[in-house]
Amino acid sequence: MKFFVLLFFMGFFTLPLLAGPKEKFALPSDVVQAMRELPSALDFNIDVKPILSDKCFSCHGPDKAKQKAGLRLDMSDHAYGELPESPGKFAIVRGNIGNSEMVHRILSKDPKYVMPSPKSHLELSPKEKAVLVKWIQNGAEYKPHWAFVKPIKKEVPAGKNPVDYFVQSKLKALNLGSSPKANRHFLLRRLSFDLTGLPPTSQEIREFVEDSSPNAYEKQVDRLLNSAHFGERMAADWLDIARFADSHGYTIDRIRDMSPYRDWVIQAFNRNMPYDRFIHYQLAGDLMPNPSKDMLIATAFNRNHPQNTEGGIVEEEFQMEYVLDRVNTFGDAFLGLSTGCARCHDHKFDPISQKNYYQLSSFFNTVREAGQISYNDDMPSPTMLLPTAKQEEVLTFIKTKIQRAEEKLKAHQVVNEARKGWLASEEAKGLAAAAQPSTRGLQAHFSFEGNLTSKLLPKDVGIMKRESGKTGDVPVFVSGKQGSGLEFDGDVYADFQGVGVFRKSDPFTIGMWVYIPKDLKEGVIFHKSNAERLYNFKGFHVYLKNNRLEILMAHTAPSNAIMKMTQADVPRETWIHLALTYDGSSRADGFHLYMNGQKAAMETLVDALDKDIIFYSKQEPGLQIGGWWRGLGFKGGKADEVYVYKRALRPYEMALLAAKPQAFDLEDYYAFAVDSSRILLAEDLRHWRKALSDSSEKIQELMVMREMNFPKKSFILKRGVYDAPGEEVFPNTPEKILPFSASLPKNRYGLARWLTDRNNPLTARVAVNRLWQQVFGQGIVKTSEDFGNQGEMPTNLELLDYLALDFQEKGWDIKGVLKQMVMSETYQQDSKASPELREKDPENRFLARGPSARLSAEMMRDNALVASGLLNPNIGGKSIYPYQPEGLWEINSHSYKQDTTQAIYRRSLYVVVKRSVPNPMMATFDASARSSCLPRRQKTTTPLQALVLMNDPTFLEASKVLGLQMAQAKNNKEAIQEAYLRLTGREIKAEELTILQALQEKEFGIFSKQEQKAKGLLAAGMFKIPAGVDRNKVASFTVVASVMMNSDASITKR
Amino acid sequence: MEDHKAPFRIQHPDLESLHRGLDRRNFLQKTAMGFGALALQGLFLGNEAKGASIQDQIMEALPRIAPKAKRVVYLFMSGGPSQFETFDYKPELSRWMGKDLPDSIRQGQRLTGMSANQAILPVVPSAFGFKQYGKNRTWVSDLLPYTAQMADDLCIIKSMYTEQINHDPAITFFQTGHQLPGRPSIGSWLSYGLGSENKNLPAFIVMVSKNASKDQPLYARLWGNGFLPSEHQGVQFRSGKDPVLFLNNPEGYEGADRKEMLDYLKQLNTFQNETWADPEIDARISQYEMAFRMQTSVPEVMDVSDEPDEVFELYGKDSRDKGSFAANCLLARKLLEKDVRFVQLYHQGWDHHDSLPKNIINPCKQTDQASAALLMDLKRRGMLDDTLVIWSGEFGRTVYSQGKLSPTGYGRDHHPKCFSMWMAGAGVKPGTYGETDDFSYNIVKDPVHVHDFQATLLHLLGINHEELIYKYQGRRFRLTDVHGKLVSGILS
Repeated sequence: MKFFVLLFFMGFFTLPLLAGPKEKFALPSDVVQAMRELPSALDFNIDVKPILSDKCFSCHGPDKAKQKAGLRLDMSDHAYGELPESPGKFAIVRGNIGNSEMVHRILSKDPKYVMPSPKSHLELSPKEKAVLVKWIQNGAEYKPHWAFVKPIKKEVPAGKNPVDYFVQSKLKALNLGSSPKANRHFLLRRLSFDLTGLPPTSQEIREFVEDSSPNAYEKQVDRLLNSAHFGERMAADWLDIARFADSHGYTIDRIRDMSPYRDWVIQAFNRNMPYDRFIHYQLAGDLMPNPSKDMLIATAFNRNHPQNTEGGIVEEEFQMEYVLDRVNTFGDAFLGLSTGCARCHDHKFDPISQKNYYQLSSFFNTVREAGQISYNDDMPSPTMLLPTAKQEEVLTFIKTKIQRAEEKLKAHQVVNEARKGWLASEEAKGLAAAAQPSTRGLQAHFSFEGNLTSKLLPKDVGIMKRESGKTGDVPVFVSGKQGSGLEFDGDVYADFQGVGVFRKSDPFTIGMWVYIPKDLKEGVIFHKSNAERLYNFKGFHVYLKNNRLEILMAHTAPSNAIMKMTQADVPRETWIHLALTYDGSSRADGFHLYMNGQKAAMETLVDALDKDIIFYSKQEPGLQIGGWWRGLGFKGGKADEVYVYKRALRPYEMALLAAKPQAFDLEDYYAFAVDSSRILLAEDLRHWRKALSDSSEKIQELMVMREMNFPKKSFILKRGVYDAPGEEVFPNTPEKILPFSASLPKNRYGLARWLTDRNNPLTARVAVNRLWQQVFGQGIVKTSEDFGNQGEMPTNLELLDYLALDFQEKGWDIKGVLKQMVMSETYQQDSKASPELREKDPENRFLARGPSARLSAEMMRDNALVASGLLNPNIGGKSIYPYQPEGLWEINSHSYKQDTTQAIYRRSLYVVVKRSVPNPMMATFDASARSSCLPRRQKTTTPLQALVLMNDPTFLEASKVLGLQMAQAKNNKEAIQEAYLRLTGREIKAEELTILQALQEKEFGIFSKQEQKAKGLLAAGMFKIPAGVDRNKVASFTVVASVMMNSDASITKR
Repeated sequence: MEDHKAPFRIQHPDLESLHRGLDRRNFLQKTAMGFGALALQGLFLGNEAKGASIQDQIMEALPRIAPKAKRVVYLFMSGGPSQFETFDYKPELSRWMGKDLPDSIRQGQRLTGMSANQAILPVVPSAFGFKQYGKNRTWVSDLLPYTAQMADDLCIIKSMYTEQINHDPAITFFQTGHQLPGRPSIGSWLSYGLGSENKNLPAFIVMVSKNASKDQPLYARLWGNGFLPSEHQGVQFRSGKDPVLFLNNPEGYEGADRKEMLDYLKQLNTFQNETWADPEIDARISQYEMAFRMQTSVPEVMDVSDEPDEVFELYGKDSRDKGSFAANCLLARKLLEKDVRFVQLYHQGWDHHDSLPKNIINPCKQTDQASAALLMDLKRRGMLDDTLVIWSGEFGRTVYSQGKLSPTGYGRDHHPKCFSMWMAGAGVKPGTYGETDDFSYNIVKDPVHVHDFQATLLHLLGINHEELIYKYQGRRFRLTDVHGKLVSGILS
């Protein structure tokens, strides 16, 4: 019946078919026509698979969940097999189109029967149908996707540049020829931009043009590869890959400085660090043997992703977002595969299952980091400190002092005579019989007998507060441990401002009785901080969590901190005594919790506190009990008898504080609390520790990768949602690309080495393809971000494979492979296209001519700076704030402070990247917004670009400076020639000179007639026209320079 | 067989070669079809092989849906306006004042980190009264007296819901169809799909109120082009000296001077192109011409000095204050008159976590009169028939008070599970749509997901949301991702 329907719809154009035992069957005329035009041999990878992938795989591809009718067309055995839901039918019968259900389906006009289904909004063109039919007719041969097969290196005849050999072979096959060599002006400009991102100076141009030595060009290549600006050029592209930015992204888009990472990238390229090591450092520098400072800095690669400050976000959701960003970037940057597609389901086109994706995530789910980052400028932890040389010197000095002070303290011997004297004192006698610790160092004691006043100093009074510090609530006193105590509802807490403000160099003890209700799962008992998470927790706390108690002391939680967890369950519905005590050492072994007078056994989760735990604010938060802003409080809990000591109490004192009968160890007490010479030593130690804190505060921090002591578990997340965990997964890589060798460590370092394994089919190909893109304007695989089934086929696979293998064999030598490319005749061709050639290969995919392209955003601005001589060539350092129209950052509640120094003339790769409000000049010329990894920028032409080049002060100022230079020259004609050379890299042509001279004369006339007319034009930028110069003349030449700058000769590298 | 007609196609691998072969401008002049035919950026001319004429191909590629709206103005109330104090009248709530939100209502819905840890979630009714307006007897809060006057023109959807509970993901979701950065915004999709009808102005224009309280920041990606070509990004019009960035020539350097300069530039470029014969140079020359036209047309359209006093009175006294929401509404009308495809206004200041009764008054005052005036103005000019007006925030607010409850001192946290928005004009049916429960916590009738709203918006412009696609990184992307269904109940 279907067969009949098919005939009915097809217009009865019949063609006898060779295959099949069945009767003749009809193909539509347009398909027959298209079949005639196909090459005799079809290649599965080139001709067939793109169609299958694009039109069929979404329902019959690798995504198991979406496979319709049990059919998958990405694997031959499935495609040839009996259709699970249609017994006796086969999608593909090799060589027999009449029996191939697929053929009937794709040719049908019946909307209920045709494939792709109309619901998919996908359709096959006649040509595509023809390809599929012919392929099946020819035997339906499957081949693995080219990119997942190891490259094969084809021999190149001796003496031939491999680039030329492969490109020219292809051109010959296509019946295309090569173009002659470009002239030296164009060539040097092209080469200079491609290798350094800067135009050649007129001096450099002249030297090259006049150099008659046979290796004149190679000399230029070597000069540019060895230029310190080479690293900057390479970094400009790599920063797109690394989604490098100066702000956190998301809503409250604070500025943060990650420039040490950028500096590292520049230097790595300048030193020609082998690409395999370049990857290893960035993915796993911290896990490599003996990590150096550079190796740690490089790991910032995985912390460059956007991070969220927003107050209400769910911590776990964004922690997961950051982990998955790393996985996505890993795929985009190194494998050329959009792994992100497998977040919610198996990849529809490529062999990355959802399980593979989360296996990859487990490599990156190992950092103790915040989902909601700090509301102030604290760098999200974990970080490393990057002291300057001078700071380093100071730190070393202080650390030596600390070490000596610690040694002295340890070695200190009590003078027996003095001790004897004290032991006989009244104080000692009193203590011997005391049921309470000594009041030495006691800062406050709150007994909650109907008030929140300290028994020690009446000025220390607690206030009841709730979210964001609102007052107005009254304390609820209930029967306590002794007399009355304070009860909490979870929202309202007692704030003892001024009490309990300790620095990380201060020893202290805070003890209190608490009553934990039966069913409270989680909540804070007491703390010193601003809020639970808004400031990513700075201060210290004691927190009930899963029946255990967590103690935390943090500069920026969770990683610049000390965190410990009790090992035993807490007793409930009974009064227990808790005392937090700390010795000022900034170490986990000096930070303890005592429960009922006994030191609690604890597990140390983090021991990495390296900056202070106070806010340095006027209203420094103090001790708060029972709750906090935006966090879980001590709902239904009670507290009583709070003691705050400015010293670490001795163990027997802790027992006494907890009302445990305990003999007072007077000798020990003397040594630690009374002996004045020891106290002096301790005070000295505290002094140096405080100095260390003070000196560390301003030291630059860089976000880096650091493994947790106890890694989190990783799960498949159903639908990609953070709170829908499925099966647990462990580190592993997609087996279809390359199985993860058992000899590799199951961590990021193992993953990095898996990438650079000789057998990995993708890494080297993806890397050389991007270098090719840098030099030739587009990759051999045009979709340099996608090497998968949906990506474009390489125009020249043999060339790509040769370059990839050669790259590996020669030690991943980046400068080497670039030199190989730019030394080729292919690269050096003239970029002019005859009309026929433009017709045949409009995009220059096959390189029958040299590459040409519009300058990138960075190059556009740098060209103007170099040509005018304004460029400040300093390399590295913090980002810059060039001219930008006022008020742009205000939509994001920040204000932009333009630089006022020569920094304003630094290169464009240093322009500050605020993710929420991109620099308008950069964005207009297609610079990346740096939200995610971007291996290939768009290339657009818009009217806004014209406005930028005409009116942005950056370009107006450069025109003005060029205008001044021209106005001051002796000869107008020569002046224009020189400026033109600087802006465009080539000699001006007579016709062009005529146009520009005429323009200058006309403009000069106009400006001269109106006195103030030139004022606005000459006002742009910081540069001031010196006195005594004819401003009208300058203005007229400024217009001339601007016209040159806006013309194709300047904008396009040819 | 209706659904089997050759559909409106936007992207195809064959496209690039096709585009190269066509001179876009000539093409348009020849066909001169205006609306709907301009999806050239991504048209797939599926009948190419059949040898159909260009006109036929265009006809074939035209939207299958007759467009109701030619243009859109979207008043985005950033921060999440409370439905309780605007459109979703809940008289029953007074009985619940101060009581903990029942678990039967909350149903485990996740809360934001701001109130998730609150020990109790006390229910709070609106501190403001509601009255009924118009023939439809529509309930509107006393805070919106002007909007209330237009009640019979509004299609109020009370059953909106979203997936996102925090500003950044929620606004990004509303404006781009995905909670993470990187996707094109609604206006960009429309610019891409429908092109521009005005050669001198961008297809997608954005204005941000100067006079709003900046409680939550905005970010340019909300009107960004994502992975679409950058010509489709929203262009921000600003109230200062330079209404579009770099539009103004240096002081004293006038239009005639610029024209002179551009003439010489054209000569130079034309000469240079004799060598290269590069279509890129031609494209650039025409972009410079467009830039020059913008230099005239933008200041022209932004000049409101010709508007009669009566118009300023209609929009309210703020409308004389450039950059205010009211002034932006007036400008929006002028841009719509010029057939700008998509005008988007942002007004911040709706994020009322505490002191809501005090803090909500200002944003209402700043926006109420002008929003209503814009509607009325479009209506009396006959433009409401083919202009769609949209008013929404990114999510709603909780029935319970965030923080301590007092009769006048409550706050409301973010609530994604239901909220109100309105549309008016082209193709939508006035009235109310959807219902929430007594707590406006859950939807009980006709839920409308953000993707459904987006699908419906595209439908009103004549586009099937499943067909407006762009292929990027091997995947076909849509504004509605893989979701969204037409809300036919609101169509007129």
